Amino acid sequence: MIRCAPVIATLAVALTGCATSPPLADGLPLTAPRAIELDSTPYFPQDDYQCGPAALATLLVASGVDVAPGSLAPEVYLPERRGSLSLELVGAARRHGRLPYVLASTADEMVEELEAGRPVLVLQNLGVSKLPRWHFAVLIGYDADRNVAVLRSGRERRLEMKWQRFAGTWHRGGRFAMTTLRPDQIPDHAEPERFVAAAAGLEAAGQRSAAAVAYDAAIMRWPREPRAWLGRGNVAYADGDRAAAADAWSRAIMLDPADAAARNNLAELLLEAGCLDESRRQIERASALARGTALETAVSESRSRIDATSLVAARCQLEDRAWPD
Amino acid sequence: MRMNGFRRACVAVLSASLISLGMQAPAAAGVVGTAEAIASQDSNARAVVDATLARADVRAELERMGVNAADVEGRLDALSDAEVATLAGQIGEAPAGGDALAVIGIVFVVLIILELVGVIDIFKKT
Repeated sequence: MIRCAPVIATLAVALTGCATSPPLADGLPLTAPRAIELDSTPYFPQDDYQCGPAALATLLVASGVDVAPGSLAPEVYLPERRGSLSLELVGAARRHGRLPYVLASTADEMVEELEAGRPVLVLQNLGVSKLPRWHFAVLIGYDADRNVAVLRSGRERRLEMKWQRFAGTWHRGGRFAMTTLRPDQIPDHAEPERFVAAAAGLEAAGQRSAAAVAYDAAIMRWPREPRAWLGRGNVAYADGDRAAAADAWSRAIMLDPADAAARNNLAELLLEAGCLDESRRQIERASALARGTALETAVSESRSRIDATSLVAARCQLEDRAWPD
Repeated sequence: MRMNGFRRACVAVLSASLISLGMQAPAAAGVVGTAEAIASQDSNARAVVDATLARADVRAELERMGVNAADVEGRLDALSDAEVATLAGQIGEAPAGGDALAVIGIVFVVLIILELVGVIDIFKKT
């Protein structure tokens, strides 16, 4: 539960500003600039407790979405809690066609994102662990020589905070940091698993065209990442493009023969296309692989449906293809 | 034969349209989503999370938190099953906080106690 507390914030920080983290200059990668400030980052002063919508709007507008905090409040704000949850900020970013990318729990990725020109939304605990004061702010820069973090925060357009103090509040806040990417943007530091998982979030949220763009970008960068192909197939299938789905899923299986999901989905498609023999072969492999996993139920449902199909009127519409073993 | 060819063409067109009709079926129940597939590999995740149940849970909780009924569905739709399952736990376990003033009060009480037991020394007059 996240609430925003501008006044107490300062007091609580003064109270708890024990310098446990090193000065910024000590941890800064050698290649990083000594100072960055993304001046052009928009600023939305928060209304009471509305730091979630304000911080998210800051990121979305910076990434080219036309949106105001007022219209984000119904998407993230919890009136009874006077705050927002970070997961709901993630969800809301998807609704605006952006890919919410949750950063690793070290400051390095924050610095890299700033270098790429993207402000970073952070969750801070301005209080102490036992008496938390949750707050969302946007990191827009730093200065290693002066050892400060620069933020858009609450009612402050430009807030400078001693780096250790900032790092401490972020640490106590659980080290949550995210940026919102255009779906075709892959950060240099991105890891394939995390990026594809973020794209899968867009797919799950029904943002199919954004998800397709993200999967394509992932495939371009990591052509041998099976989950990217699984996702590409899922989006193609949902769009009614069976041929593309069959290709992508086959690719996913070739790259990862133990992928029960891709085999299950390919079996479903083959069943619909009237290719019963091949469908049976794939679903048998899938159900062996899914045994004991969270996919077991889904796969066994597919399997009973396929097993129950005895006579197929149409002949296989996807002949002349080589299916993965 | 000409007639035969025409008939064949008709059959082809008809069957093609029937087939494509079937193809337009919305993202079918049997297909496993990518997020679901990824979540299934997370050994920490509970083996069987009833997605429908978790969604119903969070739906009710969001409404109880004062979210307009009209907004709840859109918020839920933006999240994957695994995220909804996480959220269900979070909302349930999140401590009910007081308002800002009450917290200021607590901060001062804590300060005074710390001062009295000698842990901190911020009220010193010298």
